[in-house]
Amino acid sequence: MERENHKMKAVNVLRSRICDPKFIFNDSPDSNCSKLKFMISSSVTEACNNSILLLGPRGSGKNAVLELAIQDLLQQYPESISVIRLNGLLHSDDISAFKEIARQLCMEHQLLFSKAASFDDNSQFVVAMLKECGLAHKTVIFVLDEFDLFAQGKQRLLYSLLDAMQSITSQAVVLGISCRLDADQLLEKRVRSRFSHRKLLFLPPSMEDSQRLLVHMLTLPIDSSFPHDYAVEFNRKVQNIIEDRRFRETLNKYLNVDSSVRHLLRFLFCAVSHMDLQTGFLSQENFEIAFSSIQRQPKLECLRNCSFLELHILVCMKRLEVKEQSLCNFNSVMKEYKNIHNSFQYARHVCLRAFEHLLHRELICFTDNRGQSLSVEFRPVKLLISSAELHQGLSANNSCPGYLKKLIDREG
Amino acid sequence: MDKDKAPQTPRRMTRSSASSSSSASTSNNVTAAKVNSLEPLTINDLLVGGDPISLDDIISSFPGRSSQILEIVRLLGPLNSPMLPLFMYGGSSTGKTSIILQLFRHLNRPLVYSSCRTCYNQCILFESILNQLLLHRKNAANSYSNAKRCERPSDFVNFLREALTNVINNLKEKSEKLISNNITQGKIGNMIYLVFDNFNLVREWDKSSTILPLLFNLYDLLKMPEVGLIFISSTSPDTFYSNMGYVEPIPIYFPDYIEGDIRQILLRNQVNQKLYSSFLDVALNSFCRITRQVGDLSAALKPLYEKYCEPLSDKGKGVAPNAEMKRRLFRHINPHITSYLNEVFKVSSLSSTEVETRKEEKWKGNPRRLEQSEELGSLAFHMSTSAKYLLISAFLASRNPATLDASLFDSKGGSDNRKRKRKPSEKALERKETLEEELLMKGPGTFPLERLLAIFQCLVSVAEEPSDDEEQNNDGLGVEGGNGGLMSDVLLQLSSLCNASFIFKGRSCPIEGSTRYRSTISEDLALKVARSLKFPLSKYLYRS
Repeated sequence: MERENHKMKAVNVLRSRICDPKFIFNDSPDSNCSKLKFMISSSVTEACNNSILLLGPRGSGKNAVLELAIQDLLQQYPESISVIRLNGLLHSDDISAFKEIARQLCMEHQLLFSKAASFDDNSQFVVAMLKECGLAHKTVIFVLDEFDLFAQGKQRLLYSLLDAMQSITSQAVVLGISCRLDADQLLEKRVRSRFSHRKLLFLPPSMEDSQRLLVHMLTLPIDSSFPHDYAVEFNRKVQNIIEDRRFRETLNKYLNVDSSVRHLLRFLFCAVSHMDLQTGFLSQENFEIAFSSIQRQPKLECLRNCSFLELHILVCMKRLEVKEQSLCNFNSVMKEYKNIHNSFQYARHVCLRAFEHLLHRELICFTDNRGQSLSVEFRPVKLLISSAELHQGLSANNSCPGYLKKLIDREG
Repeated sequence: MDKDKAPQTPRRMTRSSASSSSSASTSNNVTAAKVNSLEPLTINDLLVGGDPISLDDIISSFPGRSSQILEIVRLLGPLNSPMLPLFMYGGSSTGKTSIILQLFRHLNRPLVYSSCRTCYNQCILFESILNQLLLHRKNAANSYSNAKRCERPSDFVNFLREALTNVINNLKEKSEKLISNNITQGKIGNMIYLVFDNFNLVREWDKSSTILPLLFNLYDLLKMPEVGLIFISSTSPDTFYSNMGYVEPIPIYFPDYIEGDIRQILLRNQVNQKLYSSFLDVALNSFCRITRQVGDLSAALKPLYEKYCEPLSDKGKGVAPNAEMKRRLFRHINPHITSYLNEVFKVSSLSSTEVETRKEEKWKGNPRRLEQSEELGSLAFHMSTSAKYLLISAFLASRNPATLDASLFDSKGGSDNRKRKRKPSEKALERKETLEEELLMKGPGTFPLERLLAIFQCLVSVAEEPSDDEEQNNDGLGVEGGNGGLMSDVLLQLSSLCNASFIFKGRSCPIEGSTRYRSTISEDLALKVARSLKFPLSKYLYRS
């Protein structure tokens, strides 16, 4: 039906917007994007070398802004830029880094890349290519993602890149992206001296900026792709929600944990997916549901799932902890169990299996690393939940009898 | 006929193989033809396949999971809609894998599924994903090799990007063809989804500190909106936190089933549902106090149900019970529930019918004596006498503290002539008791090789003393005579016991210099071994 289609289309449009970095960050004159573009384009036009660091917490859009800037620059100077991308997770050792640089250079200039080339071949090739590119007035932009991982070890790659930039003929821009705000402190002295200390900081947005971003993301375009009154009504409802006090409280609570852009987008994604396709409009409930489904308390949920026997074992371990007994392993827990109940309701191997279930759920863990030498019954264990969490979990569990909670504090 | 053939064949053959060689060649040809007739994989093989299934079918076949199923469908979104990575987590046997596979069968979208349990290190995981994406089938033609050899993450990301772009282009062509031919059905969309199952096992891999951030950041690394990532794990996302951060995927939680849902699940596939539900009324509650995992419960309730149906004439095949029958069956089963509760986690090695017949045979003899001997039991495996003595010595060495050795293993070979000087005070006794108990609870201790050999020699000398009159009956022992009989090849026996995991050999400590060993057997097993040798183990045990 026509009506169904445009509601689904609205959901599609919103979801694609959230997953599309180009829509989120725009080119306002004051933003980091324009600053970055200016810096790179000036070094392209003036044929000089440059190095810039983009720093900011994870999810604040450093990569997205960089991609935007590079795309614009590629349109502006189509023949004078080539981009090489490296990632610290993948290419942190020099051999794979140079191999990757050589491979990308080969791909760009339609040369044949040999996988069997050695490290020396690759590094000579890279240096030669840099010289050639410099002579041809072509700037090579190196994008080093996870820059702090490149700064581990001997920093050979960084040194060779920055050193190659010192020669007159080369034209290169090195862009480092990192989540550590002290990434430049990690560099060695000789690397740091060749590094021009330009940094762009990506700070998480303030509350007003977040709200502006929300409005920007959720407003449907008033053009021919959607029926006019539907789009207008949709946008009006969105505006109402954003100005609502309860929504602001929820948003505040959510952003108190992490106010980066990516975190906010995750929240939006959940809310948009829960949009009711019958009405076709976003509502306050969507956001509330999204908030409760993203913010979870995993240990409490685990405790709610535990069976009666498993809860008993946890309470026995807590009592041992309270008594400050040094040795806590399965045998001592069973002894404590016997103290409480004066008998064993279940056979020992049943209790052992329940103990192993608790280990799998990660509510308790072993404290030593000796995997094979001792069997499960003798290895010391410790609780991974605090007393407050245990109390809360016991109250939330349906199969927990009343006396268990009192047992934790009871002496003897 | 065969004898005529035999001198003509160039190599030696048995008669049967000579006669069957002609038929074997044709069967070989048939199998070769079968192998060659397996068609190369197409993009449609990335779909889960099977008959189309509606969402309501899925919701009704997974009781208690309707909210999770609807949430996943919403987050996956309509066709061709990009998504952020998902993280599904919950206890074991809560339905995560089966739900996601059934959902993809319903949605009819291409899927690459890899389990981190069968792909047990990163190389195999990478190659399995690439095999699926490159539509590569391992067969005899390519000698069962993988499509690409991929060990390093950098290679993996490059190959993955290439393969994904190919697949997505394929999918786009397909959907354009469908649109141009005005076919509205059979749309599989432009997106491809990667599912990583059993993701919690990745934490225990060798290079987990690099591969976990890599996989979590894969969405950012690839920068392809047509790829959707789904992680399935049995532990919650907070157990994956490490030094390196990543943007968290969206969590979906699968709680354990509540009793009502367990009932519904267990009732399916039952022949007589009313009878089974009255059985569950009686038994399920007490079993749920131990565990709520469906796998354990269904295995444990099966033998109990058979016992429940015993008094019925047709073993409960077609009978719907009324109230009076229910009470009768309840009275019959009630005393047995506790004993079956203690069998919950035991998996019997024989199938249940075989166990029943063997038990019947044994009952024919003297029941009480058989029960006793069954409990004390015979050893289920064979060991040489010297290995048995070595095992007992290892057990004693782990169990007793070293300071007692002198008094226990003196020349008289017994602990019953310890001189008692004076009776210690009550408090000292109590303290001694608690200390001894703690020592026991800590587990078996370690011992050096010399102590083991000393105890072994002592035991063997004790054992061989009264056996002068038995020596003519034991043909093996008398060969070397005297003490040398059981002492030969001790070190060889020790290494075979270590290989069989009866004794654990620790790494050599650089300070002390010698390796230390630890016995890993339980007291029951040691008693069984000692009984088979007629060795009085309890006399030597420290506080048995």
